[in-house]
Amino acid sequence: MSHASGEGRLIQVEDITRVFHVGGEEVRALRGVSFGISRGEWVAIIGQSGSGKSTMMNVLGCLDTPTSGRYMLNGKDVSRMTDDELAVIRNEEIGFIFQTFQLLPRETALANVELPLVYRGIPARQRRERAKAALDKVQLTHRMHHRPNELSGGQRQRVAIARALVAEPSMLLADEPTGNLDSATGEEIVRLFEQLHQAGHTLVLVTHEPKLAARCPRAIRLSDGQLVADGPGRDVALGVGAGAAVGGA
Amino acid sequence: MSRGPGFRVDVLEGARIALFSLRANRLRTVLTTMGIGIGVATLLAIVGIIQGLNTSFHRQLASFGANTLYVSKFPWMIKGDWWKYRNRKNFTLDQVARLRTLAPFITAMSPSVSRLSDVSYGGEQMSTVRIQGVNHEYLSISGFDVTAGRFLTEADEEVTRPVAVLGADVADRLFPGISPVGRSIRVDNRTFQVVGTLSRKGKVVNESMDLLVLIPFKTFFSSFGKGRSFEIAMAVEDAGQVRAAEDQLIGILRRIRGTPPGEPDDFNINKPEAMAQTYAQLTGALYGVAVGVGLITLLVGGIGIMNIMLVSVRERTREIGVRRALGARKRTIVFQFLMEAASVSAVGGLLGTTVGLGTAKVVSLITPLAADVQMTTVMGGVFFAALVGLLFGIWPAARAANLDPVEALRYE
Repeated sequence: MSHASGEGRLIQVEDITRVFHVGGEEVRALRGVSFGISRGEWVAIIGQSGSGKSTMMNVLGCLDTPTSGRYMLNGKDVSRMTDDELAVIRNEEIGFIFQTFQLLPRETALANVELPLVYRGIPARQRRERAKAALDKVQLTHRMHHRPNELSGGQRQRVAIARALVAEPSMLLADEPTGNLDSATGEEIVRLFEQLHQAGHTLVLVTHEPKLAARCPRAIRLSDGQLVADGPGRDVALGVGAGAAVGGA
Repeated sequence: MSRGPGFRVDVLEGARIALFSLRANRLRTVLTTMGIGIGVATLLAIVGIIQGLNTSFHRQLASFGANTLYVSKFPWMIKGDWWKYRNRKNFTLDQVARLRTLAPFITAMSPSVSRLSDVSYGGEQMSTVRIQGVNHEYLSISGFDVTAGRFLTEADEEVTRPVAVLGADVADRLFPGISPVGRSIRVDNRTFQVVGTLSRKGKVVNESMDLLVLIPFKTFFSSFGKGRSFEIAMAVEDAGQVRAAEDQLIGILRRIRGTPPGEPDDFNINKPEAMAQTYAQLTGALYGVAVGVGLITLLVGGIGIMNIMLVSVRERTREIGVRRALGARKRTIVFQFLMEAASVSAVGGLLGTTVGLGTAKVVSLITPLAADVQMTTVMGGVFFAALVGLLFGIWPAARAANLDPVEALRYE
């Protein structure tokens, strides 16, 4: 098969399955998915609802553990880690960007951005400096003392991106990041992702929008819990090019 | 995990979030605090009043003298058949004299007999005054001091003089502003000359110890009739010797009274300390109930805390999800909510302590009960409140920590 040794790759998933038990019934959300992502890549994971992409995102984000298979993240086998160990991995390796932003409503933008550093045990003054620097990257330092309800949707998502960046994780994991934004604001956020990609960040973007996936250099399509296509974003997203088929290349 | 942020972050961050959340929900915090506060206040007020009662009881009991013993055919607190005690042989003065020689460890000894009489001087009259016949040694046993004149003497006893020493209440009532010494009072139509007055002892369980007139023992008998039952008051060197003295006395008294071997004692050795035990028995159950009521109030407060914490956890489900996604461990979440519960309770405890102490103080001002709250009780109150908060916070905190982060993030 095409997957050369996983060594050196940031993400390597091998034959991942995830089975849920819902009301005595077995739901196989993922049925043996394998792929790798290298450092600095920008990859979209696409699929329709029920395709398993949300489950894949939870597994990649270490919010959930696979039923079987192996998940190597930055050289560490995270598929068999304890809850506490996973919390540390989430803190150090992953920057989450959610569709609904998931900012704490009672805290200021700055405090929200500081949060990952709190759980890393970084002293307050240092935390503040780093959070300001992260907000500067998304051009929001002028709004840092505002609460989320005083910010626009685009600004909230930029705060969330600053929060994802602040702890310098190995990858940014975005779940429908433009889903709650109008198209102009969505475009702004996609531009920001392009800049982050050019700056060398590893980006994994989970979406059901082909247009968004088409802008990514690479896309992986999931269907019915299986990987059905892996190739350049445009080809996979728009369903063209034989090279996109599984096992190809 | 060596690289984890550790305990310090859990506690500091927990405390910070807790205070933040308490400030954000002021009204709720105040109401919850009141629940636990009322519990602590109730408990403290009750314990304070109980402690006050006990302290005053024991202090006054001590005025009887911790080194004293009272031998009588009656026990102080009669349990069961009064006639059994009534039919015992009376003590005689002869027996007192023999006891004196056989028990050299007794430092002072006096027969003691009393009745309630009317006492008058001029136009002033008092009824139900305790007239007590004792000898010259009684002064050191009784714990009184002579404030004016003199005490009864051996000579008074020998020649059955009609002399009297007045308790403070009697002296104050019959001789307001003048010295009673040298004047004559009437006791049930007999005349006695006042030779001295006694210091004030105060009340024991609401009964004045100073409403009495002491006269020579033999004078009592000749004035009010012989053949009465009397008790023998005695003192030992110090309180530590009471037990040993009691053991020896039993043997000596049985010999003097000719009690055959195998027969039960036909006398009782009464001690102020034994009275304290009876008091504790009588009041213990009552106190238990009172404290139980206070505890139940506190329990209700604790359930209030648990309720509000469950609401808080539900409200902040998404927040919990976010914190978990960003690297908070279960333990950190547990601390966050435990801190919140404990700080609400501790504030309530402090509030309750203030109110409880105030209540006890007010009670002591408007009733004869003397409230006495000790520092340990106050500290206990605050500590206990925080403990209740922690205890009732455990379940909600555990629920918060055990939320599935994926589910929590999705919660609407």
